[in-house]
Amino acid sequence: MQVKAKLYPKEAARLLREHPGVREAVTGATLHFEEGRKRAYQEIDAEAWRERARRVKDHLLTHLDHYLELAEKRLQEKGVRVHWAEGPEEAHRILREIVARHGVKRVVKAKSMLTEELGVNPLLESLGVEVYETDLGEYLIQLLGEPPSHIVGPAIHLALPDIQRLFHQRFGTPVDASPEALAAVARKVLREAFLTADLGISGANFLVAETGTLALMENEGNIRLSTSLPRVHVAFVGIEKLLPRFADLALFLPLTARAATGQRLSTYVSLIQGPAKEGEEGPKEVHVVLVDHGRTTLLHDSEAWEVLRCLRCGACLNACPVYRQTGGHPYGYVYSGPIGAVLDPGLLGLEDTYPLPYASTLCGACYEACPVKIPIPKLLLTWRQRAVERGLAPTWEKGAMQAFSKVMQSPSLYRLFSKALRGLPLPQDLLPLLKAWTEGRGPLRPSPKPFHELWQELKE
Amino acid sequence: MDAKSRILSRIRHALKERPKALLPEHPHPAFSQDPLELFLKRLAENGAEGHLVDKEGARKLLADLAQGLSGAAYGKGVPDALRLLPELPPEEAPLGVSRALFAVAETGTVALSSEDGRKAQLLPPVHLVLVEEERLYPSLLEAFLDLKSLPSAIGLHSGPSKSADIGQVMVKGVHGPGRLVVAVLQGTW
Ligand code: SF4
Repeated sequence: MQVKAKLYPKEAARLLREHPGVREAVTGATLHFEEGRKRAYQEIDAEAWRERARRVKDHLLTHLDHYLELAEKRLQEKGVRVHWAEGPEEAHRILREIVARHGVKRVVKAKSMLTEELGVNPLLESLGVEVYETDLGEYLIQLLGEPPSHIVGPAIHLALPDIQRLFHQRFGTPVDASPEALAAVARKVLREAFLTADLGISGANFLVAETGTLALMENEGNIRLSTSLPRVHVAFVGIEKLLPRFADLALFLPLTARAATGQRLSTYVSLIQGPAKEGEEGPKEVHVVLVDHGRTTLLHDSEAWEVLRCLRCGACLNACPVYRQTGGHPYGYVYSGPIGAVLDPGLLGLEDTYPLPYASTLCGACYEACPVKIPIPKLLLTWRQRAVERGLAPTWEKGAMQAFSKVMQSPSLYRLFSKALRGLPLPQDLLPLLKAWTEGRGPLRPSPKPFHELWQELKE
Repeated sequence: MDAKSRILSRIRHALKERPKALLPEHPHPAFSQDPLELFLKRLAENGAEGHLVDKEGARKLLADLAQGLSGAAYGKGVPDALRLLPELPPEEAPLGVSRALFAVAETGTVALSSEDGRKAQLLPPVHLVLVEEERLYPSLLEAFLDLKSLPSAIGLHSGPSKSADIGQVMVKGVHGPGRLVVAVLQGTW
């Protein structure tokens, strides 16, 4: 995927100006997710679950070479073909070979952020293969030619009328068709695709080293279908997605569900051990592609390696007052919101992503939400510090971005600001105004201490 | 060097100085609630229907579900006594009937094996799942620790297929069955 993270502040401002409806749609959806998560955390000893999950992942990551080799062995024992890929180039070569060998014409895809990273869809299309994204939200944005705006809800930036209009144009449904009617249309198109596709492509939430089990979570059933009906299944798995033991799933599946959507467990979980046995329904061939694409670079980073614990649950996005204003598109990469702000610089390098760590108010809500206790606020400061050290964030720009993130968390201030934007004063011109405004108000929750103080404390 | 050796050697290099973290033990399951009661409650909360039935009750439940239907798709483990409707291919069947490997109370989940047949679990709009009462575990952890062998795929189903991707409105039966009915079977089968 093309990286446009450097344009973050500009793109965010542009989106707010040109697509004012996005803010409402994203805020509504994320607040709903966030409420669900809070309720679901209250029902359990969330601190104990999160701490245990953190420890399991830390163990996994500090023994990653061992577990990767074990996973490969177990997968191969079950008849799964294992491939390794550094990044898009190798992933494409592997996929091209599979497509050619099986004469693949049609692919059904289960939502996967890693395949977005790798540009799997453009590759398949260039090979003349028909690709169907089968997650309903993912299907919507595929029709629109847009990237996902949220890890879990890729189309949350769309409001019902947007989708009604889209389906009216594409399928001739009435402009006021109900969500049920729209879903029924999509179901029909995609059911046909499931029944006729030659290849199913998925990611994975987890890969258990002990048993070689791929675990995939969803609510619609499209992942179960994508991995059950076509005769070949290819799963792209980031090397950090491993878990040591099968029984670790008993913690990670429900914890991820609680964090992501507030459910006790996602409606469907697929636990895949290998190709179908003789006389069984299911794919005859299963491939697992283990992908690095920046992960080993992150692992090397003595501070930022902790982001490799990430489960891609999206809870930090839902909790983030800055993300909520624009959704994910302005962040300019697959991963947006707080996790994007600390993961993208690690995966892609700070040069191409330095504005992202400033897209935050350091309010700490992301850390409270995170099921694996990734210290996102601390890491935001780490990346900011590094950006300054490398001369990547000129002072004026830094000020502008901080001002921007402050504005983003207050509806009234935002309105004032977006009006002002149309008059085109430079953002830093508003700084004194912002200062005066923030001093008198509690609910805005700016960082309790100046950046340099906080930084000192965290370093100690 | 191939990709595998390059990736592994970078990992080893990255981890050289990093202290190793210990793997925590699994917690001790602590469930005091009656698992059956909890299971039925959770199913209802998940938008599924749960029934505790004996042999006669199971037949009656099936007969009720079968009303007006032309046939059903069956999983391999469904006993003959409960194949009341003529068998149809899963692509066409208005009802799928499966036999679960096990069930989990805390999450309201039935676990379905690929050995039983995947299509009947996924394609028909209504899915009836049979599970013996003795195959009900209080928690996911107990179920997973107890699994002796793994089939090529297990599907954990905890409710009807759903999505809120269209304008944040919950829609059921998006790809999988829009209705999930679970019959907990008493006694031996
Ligand atoms: S950083 Fe934490 S909260 Fe955010 S997506 Fe990753 S696991 Fe979820």
